[in-house]
Amino acid sequence: MEEVDKILIHALKQVGTEVSEEVDSVKQFSSELIVEAVVRCIRVIDPGLGGALPISLPPGMSARFRVGMSLAQACQDLGYKGEIGYQTFLYSNEPEIRSLLMFLVEKLPRESAEASDQPTGKSVVLQRAIAAAIRAQLAVPWLPANCRLPLHEETQGPETLHSFHVQPLSLPYCTKAAGQKQRKEVMDYWRDILPPVTAQASHHASVMASLMEQHTAELSAAQEWDTEWNNQGLLSRLTPQEYRSRKLTRLRKRIEEQLRSAALPHPESSFGGPRSTSDLGELLQTFRGSAPPEQILSKGTHFTHTQKFTFTPDSAAVTSSIPTGRQSDADIQLRHQEELASLQQQFQQLCSDVDQLTADMKHMSVTNTQVLDELKQRVLGNSEKEERKQVKNKTIDLLPDADNNLLKLQALVEASANRVVNLASQWEKHRAPLIDEHRRLKEICSNQDLESSRKLSEIKSLHEKIRVSTEEAKKKEEMYKQLVTELENLSQDVSRSAYTQRILEIVSNIKKQKEEITKILSDTKELQKEINNLTGKLDRTFAVTDELIFKDAKKDESVRKSYKYLAALHENCNQLIQTIEDTGTILREIRDLEEQIETENGNKTVANLERILDDYKAIRQENSALAAKVREG
Amino acid sequence: MVTLLNRLQVTECLKLCHTVVDGMCGRENPHKGDYCATWSLEEWLELLNSLTTFFRMAVGNNCSDEEVLAGLSNVSSDHSETVHSVLRARQEEIKRTLLDRTTSISCATLQDFDWQLKLALSSDKITSLHTPLLNLSLDMKENGVLQPVTLEMNREELNALISSLEAANKVVLQLK
Repeated sequence: MEEVDKILIHALKQVGTEVSEEVDSVKQFSSELIVEAVVRCIRVIDPGLGGALPISLPPGMSARFRVGMSLAQACQDLGYKGEIGYQTFLYSNEPEIRSLLMFLVEKLPRESAEASDQPTGKSVVLQRAIAAAIRAQLAVPWLPANCRLPLHEETQGPETLHSFHVQPLSLPYCTKAAGQKQRKEVMDYWRDILPPVTAQASHHASVMASLMEQHTAELSAAQEWDTEWNNQGLLSRLTPQEYRSRKLTRLRKRIEEQLRSAALPHPESSFGGPRSTSDLGELLQTFRGSAPPEQILSKGTHFTHTQKFTFTPDSAAVTSSIPTGRQSDADIQLRHQEELASLQQQFQQLCSDVDQLTADMKHMSVTNTQVLDELKQRVLGNSEKEERKQVKNKTIDLLPDADNNLLKLQALVEASANRVVNLASQWEKHRAPLIDEHRRLKEICSNQDLESSRKLSEIKSLHEKIRVSTEEAKKKEEMYKQLVTELENLSQDVSRSAYTQRILEIVSNIKKQKEEITKILSDTKELQKEINNLTGKLDRTFAVTDELIFKDAKKDESVRKSYKYLAALHENCNQLIQTIEDTGTILREIRDLEEQIETENGNKTVANLERILDDYKAIRQENSALAAKVREG
Repeated sequence: MVTLLNRLQVTECLKLCHTVVDGMCGRENPHKGDYCATWSLEEWLELLNSLTTFFRMAVGNNCSDEEVLAGLSNVSSDHSETVHSVLRARQEEIKRTLLDRTTSISCATLQDFDWQLKLALSSDKITSLHTPLLNLSLDMKENGVLQPVTLEMNREELNALISSLEAANKVVLQLK
């Protein structure tokens, strides 16, 4: 029973009943405790029903009686089938209370238990955490700024209002790839001038943000490169540097094309017009120049000055011409204006001139190429004609001595034919091993190709595997963490395994007992059988003996006497058996009665009777007091 | 007017130049108050402008050492040496800043962003909402003016935004 009581007390504690530490079995429950436990259980099971019931017993006896009645009624409403009344609560006995409490605890809603059994998701944990945080924050009172402690700063201070602003940082390691030799000036700068990262941002609050931003940017760049390299770079079979440079040239070409197509519609714009040498830098300059500067780069007037110096053809040194723009500004406003106007005029003039010249140049270049082409063709035609002329000249030279020359020619032709045949055979001789060699090399090449593609696919699958396993590991880690938090959150007092073990023990005990019972039953049956057997045998033996002796009894007097004795013996034996059986019944009855006495003793009858007597007296007193009051009133 | 630099000590000049580059790269600009004894306001602005332009031009055009020193011919040799060393030390940073400026060529560019995730627990009509809301604040630079834009989105709206951003990213990837 101890286990059951422990479980009951634990359940009651969870419901909210204050059971003191000393109480560890239902036997020790006082009336007040019973009432409180029952009321709390009823409140949890059915709030509407339990709301009207008081948790503690009132001092007045009649009121107590009424509370007991209503409690019993409520329990019956919940479906309690056992015997129940006010006496159950006021004059408790252990088994009744235990069965009542067991019924109530079983009736308790199980949602919470079921919820904790299921693996709680991340979101549930998060929501619980949010709820806890909000509860804690709500519990903290608001205080004016002067009275705040560090505890309040977190939620009530102005720090929470800082937004997440990023400033670029200068970090030594990220400017160039590691391993490269840095310039001396750079090293000096890093050593002597560069402030620590915490001093670089203008606001202290944005240090963290800037650092995080920088880190994220680098990380994402590295990741992007990683995925690109794994997907495309590996397949291209180039070293990373080669791949990068190839990509760079490809991008350049694309941009160039885009820019060219974008720049073409405005060939007459100030500095536009596709140059004959289409290098990217120049194109970029045309692109910069053709858009109004205020829209793109907010440099203001200064930009227009510098722009002029940069893009007019005769700006020899960029740097030396910078200061002149501002000098006139500083002198006189008027002159500045005039100069500006004249400069603008000049500028326009120059622009139109440049346009004109560009158009002319274009035209000229077109004509030039045309003329050049024509010239080339002419030259080609000329050389052809010259060759033909030479052949004809030779033929004319040979004409006078025709026969002789013909013979010579035939010999020559024959000789050359022979030579050709000879050469062909030689070539064949050389060719065969070469072709073999070629085939061999080709085979090797294809083998290597196969090998390399196999390895590539292997590498790819390995990458995939690595990715999958890292993900899995991460997931498992998270799961582990979650489970650990859940485990910490779980209440520690109920040891589930102990209960299950206990239950298993009980089950095995029951099995054993069952076996024993069946054994005893079979024993009893056997005994019964034996008894029956013996009785039958006895009966038969008696009948035979009786007949024999009865036959002889007629003849002989002594035999008649013995017959009488036999009958008496039989009678006596029967009586004896009857008595033994009766004794057994009586013994059983005695045991039953003893058990009954035991249970009655367990019911604390005497004490309860005394208490009932006391309560009866109390009620009488109350009644008489009330009657006196009525009389007085 | 880079010649104005001559009025400063060489060590001071080094510091000033670095601070100017810091300002170019988006950090704090040098303070006028530190140098008010040396230059008037106009001179100060002039100097800042010319230094900034000088750095920009030198890095943007990839000038060689001789060209740079030629551009600094009208300051004393110590000072020109200082400016040159600053230029070489910060070349990478300036280059990155210039590249950033070039890439943010469109009319409005995103300068910075911040987000906050909020969980609306209830409203004036519904006691239990449990709706997550995302506050997205964008700092847009439009025509050189910084404009804050703030959005509040629920889950569906956020999904729509993310999918449109992903589509945009796909287009960019295709360009590569």
